[in-house]
Amino acid sequence: MAPLPPGIMKDRSKPAADRQLKLGALCQSLADLFWIAQAWILATAVLAMVNGTGVAALLGPALGFAAIGMARTGLDAAGRRLAFRSARQTLTDLRRDALDHLGRRMPLDPTLPASGTLAALLAEQAEAVTPYLQRYVPVRWRLMLVCPALLLAVAWHSWAAGLILLVAAPLIPLFMALIGIRAKKASEEQLMAVGGMNGLLMDRLRGLPTIRALEAEDAVAGRIQTLATKVKQQTMAVLRIAFLSSAVLELFSALGVALVAVYTGFHLLGQLEWGTWAGRLDLAQGLFILLLAPAFFEPWRDLAGAWHDRASGEAAIKALNALTGTAAVAAESQSAPPPPAGTALLLNGIRFAYPGAAAPVIDGFDLSVRAGERVALLGPSGSGKSTLLALAAGLLQAEQGNVQRQGHIGWVGHRPFLQNASLAANVSLGRAGSDAGGLIRRLLPGKEAARRIGEGGVGLSGGEAVRLALARALADPDAALILADEPTAHLDADTAAAIADVLVEATAGRTLLVATHDPALAARMDRVVEVGA
Amino acid sequence: MKRDLLTILALFQRAAGRPLLLGLLVAGVTVLAGVTLLGLSGWFITATGIAGLAAGAALGFDVFRPGAGVRGLAILRTGARYGERLLTHDATLSVVAALRVRLFRALARPGLARALVQRPGRLLFRLTGDLDALDALYLRLMVPLASLLLMALAAGTGLYLLIGWSGVGFGLYLLVLGLALLGLGVRGSLAPGGQRAAALESLRLRVLDLTSGRVEWRLAGRAQAMRDLALAADRRLAQADERLNRLDITTGIIQGVAGTALMAGALLLGATLVAGNAITPAVAALLLLVSMGLMEPVAALRRGAVELGRSLRAATRVAADLRPLPAPATPARPAEGVALRLEGVRFRHEGAGAALFDGLSLTVEAGQHVAILGESGAGKSSLLALVTGEQRAEAGSIGTLPWTLLGQETALFQDDLRANLALADPTADDARLIQVLADAGLADVVAALPAGLDSLLGEGGSGLSSGQRRRLALARFLLRDRPLWLLDEPTDGLDLPTARDVLARLKARAAARSLLVVTHLRREAMLADRLIRLEKGRISLDVRREEAGFEEALTGLRGD
Repeated sequence: MAPLPPGIMKDRSKPAADRQLKLGALCQSLADLFWIAQAWILATAVLAMVNGTGVAALLGPALGFAAIGMARTGLDAAGRRLAFRSARQTLTDLRRDALDHLGRRMPLDPTLPASGTLAALLAEQAEAVTPYLQRYVPVRWRLMLVCPALLLAVAWHSWAAGLILLVAAPLIPLFMALIGIRAKKASEEQLMAVGGMNGLLMDRLRGLPTIRALEAEDAVAGRIQTLATKVKQQTMAVLRIAFLSSAVLELFSALGVALVAVYTGFHLLGQLEWGTWAGRLDLAQGLFILLLAPAFFEPWRDLAGAWHDRASGEAAIKALNALTGTAAVAAESQSAPPPPAGTALLLNGIRFAYPGAAAPVIDGFDLSVRAGERVALLGPSGSGKSTLLALAAGLLQAEQGNVQRQGHIGWVGHRPFLQNASLAANVSLGRAGSDAGGLIRRLLPGKEAARRIGEGGVGLSGGEAVRLALARALADPDAALILADEPTAHLDADTAAAIADVLVEATAGRTLLVATHDPALAARMDRVVEVGA
Repeated sequence: MKRDLLTILALFQRAAGRPLLLGLLVAGVTVLAGVTLLGLSGWFITATGIAGLAAGAALGFDVFRPGAGVRGLAILRTGARYGERLLTHDATLSVVAALRVRLFRALARPGLARALVQRPGRLLFRLTGDLDALDALYLRLMVPLASLLLMALAAGTGLYLLIGWSGVGFGLYLLVLGLALLGLGVRGSLAPGGQRAAALESLRLRVLDLTSGRVEWRLAGRAQAMRDLALAADRRLAQADERLNRLDITTGIIQGVAGTALMAGALLLGATLVAGNAITPAVAALLLLVSMGLMEPVAALRRGAVELGRSLRAATRVAADLRPLPAPATPARPAEGVALRLEGVRFRHEGAGAALFDGLSLTVEAGQHVAILGESGAGKSSLLALVTGEQRAEAGSIGTLPWTLLGQETALFQDDLRANLALADPTADDARLIQVLADAGLADVVAALPAGLDSLLGEGGSGLSSGQRRRLALARFLLRDRPLWLLDEPTDGLDLPTARDVLARLKARAAARSLLVVTHLRREAMLADRLIRLEKGRISLDVRREEAGFEEALTGLRGD
């Protein structure tokens, strides 16, 4: 039996959930064993019929059979309940760990998967964890407890029937292991195809207005068709393997039962005298063996049923662990000492290269900004001024050199994140004590604070989006350092001037660092630093 | 609900009716083979046991036909199960893949998408989660239901032949039990199934918000709060799971009790019939083993019913999305010699009190180059949205020539450069693509990329600087050959030399076309020979190049 993947049950430090799952598995296993008694009652009852016993004498056995059956149903239900609760708790734990880890990663870390992929992983893909643990783990217990017990009960009467079961059983894991190797690979490929399709769909849906403007609906639909077909093929590849493994099982179990039935029949007829410990079996013993044979294969069949759960559950756990296993951690945890008093920001010997790029975009950059100073980073697009701002804000980790800064940061992003919520909520971002209404009146005159905007800023012009980002940065009264990335790029002349005024006015007492290619804005600053070129 | 379910099932039937029907039949064969195998084995052993007791009878007993039957049924069952699964899953996956494309097209219609595009995450969910949930309608409802009906029919008929009228009772018992569990499961799972789907969607959207806005959340100190919000969605999901699990356990207990009662009843019935010499003990054993196997389709139907709530909710939404919309007004063509004409247009933003435009009229003659000026919020972007049909006017008429747009925020897609360009013209060859890249001032950048046109762009065009992104959008715009050009601040954010270069190239190519440029930059307005200024939705200035006031209007704009 394949062991559970490391880090799921063993060292998850959730012993309560683990114990609950084991207890649930134990209950389900015990419930299965009740069938031995029920089968014996049935077998002896048929023998009694052959011997001509009346109906009245069978009333007792029938009631006994029913009573054991009820107890079995109850115990099994309790076991399944326990297993579910434990598995569901583990899923919540895994999600919490992944979210906590995302909180520690560098926000602009280019190795982070796309947002759509992450959302799909934490939502739908992670859902595979519950059925996997809830079904697969109890099945493993039943295999280890129930199958040997049933085998023993059969072999007690007839070693030949026991031998048939014993021979059929080990062939099953052998074949399943062979198939399992391929199942895992196919399942990972399928997950990737699903993730790829979801990423593509999200990307295209975001750009739906552009697609319509280009009248490219057909081309995109064609692309989606290709990917959907690929996902279908990958899914079928996974399913074919899963079905094959259960077909192998069904074949061995069906043939096992059939062989036991045929052997027992011939033996009862007296045509096969061997196979028992002493003398010929009676009818009750024969029927008893026949009734136990399908039950012997039942856990194996359930294993096949849980096989697909196992593949997707393990793949999901692996993807979640790959996410939380990455080492990149934000600067907060390895915080540099604050700069000397009077200095708001100190960049020292900064070097940074994007992964895969031939040359670093920034190499040996030094900058010291005094508290209250207004500085412009001036340079053409692609010169690395936006990267410098991200490094200063701690959104990226420099390869070399260090960043020291004082106080909170107010960020005016290049392409601000805009939520499907009211303007006021987009400005305050849920922070208590921010004067969202006042800032909206000042920076977005004529806009109602309660007006709702769409995801990505649908309903706002490009200029308004940047003004909203500015309001958002100024909403934090403790933001001592305002970092602005091309704040006037999308604004008309009058508004750009007004924004520059507001920037200068509102940052009185705060420090301002602006990345821009607009000389007019740069001229409003105390100092201009040329970047690149 | 019922009508939506029928809509979806009709779509299934139309997409792959025959394989789906075949799947139902093969599924029925599978369960019948299973129950026959059990019954035959029980009969065989009991009959041989009885024959073995009587010395002479053993020799005359035909062991070979039942023995071969047992083996044959075992193999038939295995093969049928494998075939059924392949058949049913392949058919449903094909249906779902086809529906995905259909649904995308439906969602891309302007009328529907305008509301939905505010939350692409929600749209995505329609195209993934909802559609994937639909396959359960067939696999977990239709397949076990068909098996149950076939099994009830076969058991009723077969047992009637063996033991008389009481045999019909077995078929009826099976039918009533199966349908009752189906009803209980569907009724009980509808509300938590819906809650589950909603919570899962909410979890996905919150994770999406959390990851796509991670810079803002982090710097605002709200990252922890967003994490808590996502975990709250997981908590609601867990509550729904809990309710569904309780339903599963309850119906499971009913099934277990009913199955036990059936076998105990079969035992007593068999004993009664044997005592009355109506049947042999071998047939009584057959009855016992058959009643053991009868529960198989019931169990499958019960499990499916408990999970059906989610699929029914999805079916409702997908059916609603696919419902035909009133056909979008086909853009009227303006009169000969006119490129664009707005007549008495009234328009208000969704949810806004006052109308932005009320009686706006504007005519752009063919070949004319017009710049629309105005403050933020004066209605420049809304005017463009009306012309392109993204927004619908409340009153008035709009007629345009075929147009192409270079927007302020033109989306780039996670794909290679070639595919991004080819959206504008799928027939363009590489030479043409390189030509338009050069026209947009990107030739050197692309030439320096090791993979050239095959270079991949990241999410939203990441991997390129903002200026490069804009230039790529410009190249895509130039690929489209249309008589009317709509430009929305086309060189904003470009550095000056490239901006001037691109404007010069645009000007050279615009000669034979009509042009409408929305701008606040002097260099862009200089493309035009007619300036129109919007103020609060009204035209406050309309001058041509040769008229007085043209130069003043230009000088008032932001310079370089």
